[in-house]
Amino acid sequence: MSERELIGIGGLGVLFFLLALRIPVGLAMIGVGIVGNFVLSIFFPFLRFEPYLQQFKSLLWGIVSNYELSVVPLFVLMGYLASQANLSRDLFQGVNAILGRFRGGVAMAAIGACAGFGAVCGSSLATASTMGRVALPELRRLNYSPRLATGTLAAGGTLGILIPPSVALVIYAVTVEASIIQMFQAAIIPGLIAVVFFMLVIAIQVRLKPELAPIAAPMPPAERKQALLRLIPVMSIFGAIILGLGAGLFTPTPAAGVGVFAILAYGLFMHWRGKEGLSLTGLKQALRDTSVTSSMIFFILLGAEVLKGFFSRAGLPAFMADAAAHSGLDPWLVMVLMLFALIVLGCFMESLSMIVVVIPFFWPALVNINGGDFATAATAAYGMGAEDLKIWFGILALIVVELGLITPPVGLNVFIINALADGVPMSQTFRGVMPFFAAEIVRISLIIFIPALTLLVPTLLGG
Amino acid sequence: MKRLLYQSASGLAVLGGVLALLIAVVTIVNVGGFAIDKVARLFGSHFPAILGYEDFVGLTVSSAALMMFPYCQTRYGHVAVDVFMNLFPSWFGRVVDVVSSTLMTVLAVFLGYMMVRGLLEVQSDNAMSAILGWQLWPFYIPGIISMFLWALICMTQIFEREAHV
Repeated sequence: MSERELIGIGGLGVLFFLLALRIPVGLAMIGVGIVGNFVLSIFFPFLRFEPYLQQFKSLLWGIVSNYELSVVPLFVLMGYLASQANLSRDLFQGVNAILGRFRGGVAMAAIGACAGFGAVCGSSLATASTMGRVALPELRRLNYSPRLATGTLAAGGTLGILIPPSVALVIYAVTVEASIIQMFQAAIIPGLIAVVFFMLVIAIQVRLKPELAPIAAPMPPAERKQALLRLIPVMSIFGAIILGLGAGLFTPTPAAGVGVFAILAYGLFMHWRGKEGLSLTGLKQALRDTSVTSSMIFFILLGAEVLKGFFSRAGLPAFMADAAAHSGLDPWLVMVLMLFALIVLGCFMESLSMIVVVIPFFWPALVNINGGDFATAATAAYGMGAEDLKIWFGILALIVVELGLITPPVGLNVFIINALADGVPMSQTFRGVMPFFAAEIVRISLIIFIPALTLLVPTLLGG
Repeated sequence: MKRLLYQSASGLAVLGGVLALLIAVVTIVNVGGFAIDKVARLFGSHFPAILGYEDFVGLTVSSAALMMFPYCQTRYGHVAVDVFMNLFPSWFGRVVDVVSSTLMTVLAVFLGYMMVRGLLEVQSDNAMSAILGWQLWPFYIPGIISMFLWALICMTQIFEREAHV
């Protein structure tokens, strides 16, 4: 290991130390990046510091004016508008009108609504928080077991990160230079599998222990009709975005623009008709919430860019890729170890931060192990070329990142739902998510052993 | 003073959001243009969509996104790993917060200063957007204002008494 690589590893250590000290992720990354480059310039004068600093004249502006990333604030705004316009509630009540009459049906409806809301929201934490507020009171009113109710909502929230369009998918695609549309397409089947598996988990639990979920009284026909009617516009908006993106009719930014406009118009129309909808106060709140989330994301992206510059100059990604390729470990074991590392990190790190910090190290290593950029399916260690590997690994990585959100001892989604569920012990909520955790392990195994589950849709639709 | 800064940040954030809504409206017009064009072509005619849509979106988002930064700081919105600090006494958390806010202030001033230099550079280079041919330098201005407002807000947070948890 050379001195440069040692400085890089030292920087990585300092980064994790600063993160543990609750220094904001973006600030820690920028600090380590700038100081690391300064240290490199002392030991290696040809890596001059002054020219390096000049990039800051346009770095931040360059990131926020990047057309591909312009989708981020629009998707975020779409989610908050949907929440303020009560689309999340309409979605839950509509799905509940269909599934609610079955044992465990209301919990299943919560999963369906989480998937639907995750499609416009793109954030697991926001999905868990929004749907928790909407569905938890209903689950409590119907005397669902607190364990099942909170576990369902914590697990359902994780669907937000994968169901397209998702901000995390956009960030991953930009990080590894993959096609955003192909990532969205690849996420469709794994996302649907998650929905089916989560519903199956609920069905099996209530079959084994009927007392977990009493059968709800049938919804009065007029109320049911109303709920189903209100589901139509919601599903039309969400469906048009997902299908338009999946079929390649839209690119992400126009899709997000159309989504924002449609939800805004629908919300204002409903408010004008006196049926709640989107008030001016709600609109302002959505704009403010969008500000917080978008800035948080762009700050992390700025940090990632600065950090990437430091690590590249230190030669760290290339060193790690080389080390992984010559480690003698089985390629599949390396993959499993990487996924395991992501699960562990996901227990206490925010998902986007993980993607921008960890993936730039993992990705070059995987490409090297696979046989390089030009490996073909016949010669590659993972049986697929670099482009397919990018998509397949991205989906796997995002699934394990979301798994971290429900993994003890931290599991951010579990904390969010538990905070909403007054009086439910944390241990109950963690017990509640365990069956879903097991279902996730099965899903991950399926996707590892059957890559077609992720690659089929992008191959058929041709990106 | 602090109230004024926070209100300015909130106003700037709402303005940034309104710019995002403007993008949505322009997108609808653009998509509508494409749709009309498809129909018009059936009759041998042509209806152009918005020229330079990507330029417009990129430039508008650059202003909108940077205008959102100060408000995010008022809400302590930047993500941090909040797990291990619970193991330490609160005074230590306060020390970390002071250091963190100070560093954030320095960073915001640095970014603002570098953006001013960036503005002067693109102005002297007469840099323009690729399709629309709009001058780029005016789009640096909202970002510069935001960076310095962000710095001022961070500075007020240095002197807050309670550790932010």
